[in-house]
Amino acid sequence: MPEDIASLIDTIISTGETLAEEVEVFIAGGESVSAELKRTKIGIAAGSYAVGLGIRTIDHGHIGASGTSDPSAWRKCLDAAISSGTLATPQEWGGLPLSSVREQPLLSFDPEVWVKAEIAEAAIYQMLTGAEEYPVNVTSGSADISTGYLSLANSHGVRYSTKKSSFSVSLEAISDQSTGYEFDQSVRMSVDPVNVGKMAAFFAHHGRSGEDIPTGDYSLVLSPMAFAQLLGSVFVPAVNGRSVHAGRSKLANSLGEVVADTSISIFDDPFRNYGPGSTCWDAEGVPTRRIDIVRDGVLTEFLYDLKTGYRYGKSSTGSALRSGYGGSPGIGYHNLVFDGPRSGIRDEPAIYVHDVVGAHTANPMSGDFSVEISNPSWIENGDFGKPVRKAMYAGNVFDLLKNIEGLGHGERVIGSMVLPEVRLSGQRIIGV
Amino acid sequence: MMMSGGIRYYDVRHVTGQTTHIDIDNSVIESAGTSFFSTAVLRVLGPSGWGILTIDNYTSPRGKEFDSLLESAASLARITTEPVNLADAPHGVLPVPAMREDPREVSLEEKTGVLGEIESAARLPGIVNSRATYIERAEQVSFIDSSANEYSFEICRSGFNIMAVASREGMVQMGYERLHSIHGLNIRHQQELGRLAGVRALSLLDAKTAAGGTMDAILDPELAGVFAHEAVGHASEGDLVHEGNSVLSGKIGERIGNSLITIVDDPSLQEFGFDPVDAEGVKVGRTKIIDQGIVGAYLHNRETLASVGNGVPGHARAMPGEAPLVRMSNTFIEEGDSSLDEMLEGIHNGIILYGSRGGQVDPGRGVFQFNAEYGFIIEHGEKKGMVRDVSLSGEILSTLHSIEMCGKERKMSQGYCGKGGQSVPVSDGAPYIMLRNAVVGGSGTE
Repeated sequence: MPEDIASLIDTIISTGETLAEEVEVFIAGGESVSAELKRTKIGIAAGSYAVGLGIRTIDHGHIGASGTSDPSAWRKCLDAAISSGTLATPQEWGGLPLSSVREQPLLSFDPEVWVKAEIAEAAIYQMLTGAEEYPVNVTSGSADISTGYLSLANSHGVRYSTKKSSFSVSLEAISDQSTGYEFDQSVRMSVDPVNVGKMAAFFAHHGRSGEDIPTGDYSLVLSPMAFAQLLGSVFVPAVNGRSVHAGRSKLANSLGEVVADTSISIFDDPFRNYGPGSTCWDAEGVPTRRIDIVRDGVLTEFLYDLKTGYRYGKSSTGSALRSGYGGSPGIGYHNLVFDGPRSGIRDEPAIYVHDVVGAHTANPMSGDFSVEISNPSWIENGDFGKPVRKAMYAGNVFDLLKNIEGLGHGERVIGSMVLPEVRLSGQRIIGV
Repeated sequence: MMMSGGIRYYDVRHVTGQTTHIDIDNSVIESAGTSFFSTAVLRVLGPSGWGILTIDNYTSPRGKEFDSLLESAASLARITTEPVNLADAPHGVLPVPAMREDPREVSLEEKTGVLGEIESAARLPGIVNSRATYIERAEQVSFIDSSANEYSFEICRSGFNIMAVASREGMVQMGYERLHSIHGLNIRHQQELGRLAGVRALSLLDAKTAAGGTMDAILDPELAGVFAHEAVGHASEGDLVHEGNSVLSGKIGERIGNSLITIVDDPSLQEFGFDPVDAEGVKVGRTKIIDQGIVGAYLHNRETLASVGNGVPGHARAMPGEAPLVRMSNTFIEEGDSSLDEMLEGIHNGIILYGSRGGQVDPGRGVFQFNAEYGFIIEHGEKKGMVRDVSLSGEILSTLHSIEMCGKERKMSQGYCGKGGQSVPVSDGAPYIMLRNAVVGGSGTE
């Protein structure tokens, strides 16, 4: 932690302790650079310097929070946190954590990631080279590199800090009216821009002259990208402890029950080496641990932060996350891993779903969704066969988890999820 | 004019402000408070393309310090190769409408109390969770460019969402309502919307899953507005047209719909998507995207107007701290002359859909999807059983031909639209509309 940040934190905490029983300070900052393609030329190169300060105060169960992009205005922010706390309904509170995390390896950082425009530029041209494999037009693309730091401190002596890095690339291409999109992301420099370009171009090229299919039930293979979207819209909110106890989760009474095929396990692994969400402590300073949400198909655990844990007599699972510097932390996952036995799930014919359009319109309570499929295509003998012109996919995420027939070899990192391809049977497709 | 370092143009858009939120969940005030932000975007147009710097906690430096920021942005621009040019465009700022009641002058305590009344109104027997959230965002925007254009304004947007969850025998359903405004505090006397959210959640417990397939459909004004936004609005954005990623590319002057369809985007309209001036300092006004079924104009910023033509600038919008993109603002289908009864009478077997859970479009492929909150089956012109979780999908170039009737009264609904990682306030609207042979997605089979 830089010295000036350390002394700022000490000042805020010592002042805050005169106003509230407990004080928590969160400081995040970083720099980024990106290059954006417009067709085959770079139209924009952008850089940013970001900084933010978040303060939380707790006094007799009154939790207040505020944030500011100007750390020198910390006093105004502290006062806003205190006054915010006076309005909040007081709740059961057992205190912020003591300092207990000794080992703090940088799990989500690679010092080899340099925030330089020339590196983003090179990745862009590599993607274009990859896209040349098929006769398509590139429409847009980008390469983004960022590094950042996080510092978390509280009035019980917690003084944690860590660093993060990220490199991501994406490309969109078109051929007639067939579009293709692909991306790659990593904490390290290990993205493969050539392959991203090639695959975006492949999907655009392959999707031309697709044929309509009749409405009916089909076997599907969902790509990790499509599966992550459906899981993120429905399953993730349903295992959030706050949703569970507030009556907003269909899984609220399902602990110990089978909620997925018995070959499936879903867990949060905060210690994954170079995982995008890896961390030894959560956004409240609680030590993180592996959380087995679903083990062999059985729902075993929900996710909690301190506030929800204290309120409902549970322990925090170290699942507090902050999306920015403002406000209070929420409940989330660090690296959500979807696992089970792997097999050749592309061997039998199925419709391949590369991505879906409209996953955010799924009903997070009931799990029902109906979405448009991007790049629908038959797969036959393990490879891409005839493309399908247009297809809607209607189903239910909770039912789908029980209908998993198999997981493919390999896996991909999508956001902070790690998942393989998934094969499903009896899924409703609305054709034309 | 060329400035030093090959800089052809620059602008700075600095936004400072504060965000106040209140979250009441099952009668517990989970949080209520205010956060502060100050962030600026400096754009420099180099010999080819843009170099853009985002600077948090911007201090409006002058002299050498500013020159050094210009140089940093210009240095980024050196990797660009796209020849970017800016079209001339009229400048000017509209007045921001006065608020009926400035939310910032009402104490957080009072607002929390009023929001609590909406939340408790949703808690009907059978409702297992009710949650009300209030959001208020005040922005002071200042803009300056190298052509000596300069403006500043202040705008405050506020509103609330109320959600109710009903549960029975393992079935969980939700109902929600929302209302957002640029005209001042709008949470007083809104308990009826809370109650409606509760009633909706309870009635959805008895609704069936719709059977997917092709059928005639009536869309309510909110959903028809989302339809205009997804099916036409995005594909008319000049940046997508320029990239070759829109099926409306090259279609100016072509008929793509029935002559009773006119679709407009108008940031000058004093609705939730109102902007007094666009994010490049350009005067805002009305753009007829579809004029009686014919593609009339694209939405543009200065860059896409220069590269694509056929349209109107003034559609550049940005979140604080982000570079402007071509965006919609207030998008709507103009009124027609049919009544809802006439639409219902015209349908033998079909569906009427209400409310929106959002939508998405692939503009290059020309395929869109959007989702209704609920609907009713129509048999022989009469509304029958309630259905839930219904989506519609369609193809941009053919879908407007299938609109057979437009209602007489337009209504606007507020929301946020996402593009390029940025979310901006918009409103969408329409009268009731009737579509023949719509593709309806549902997992039911009967």
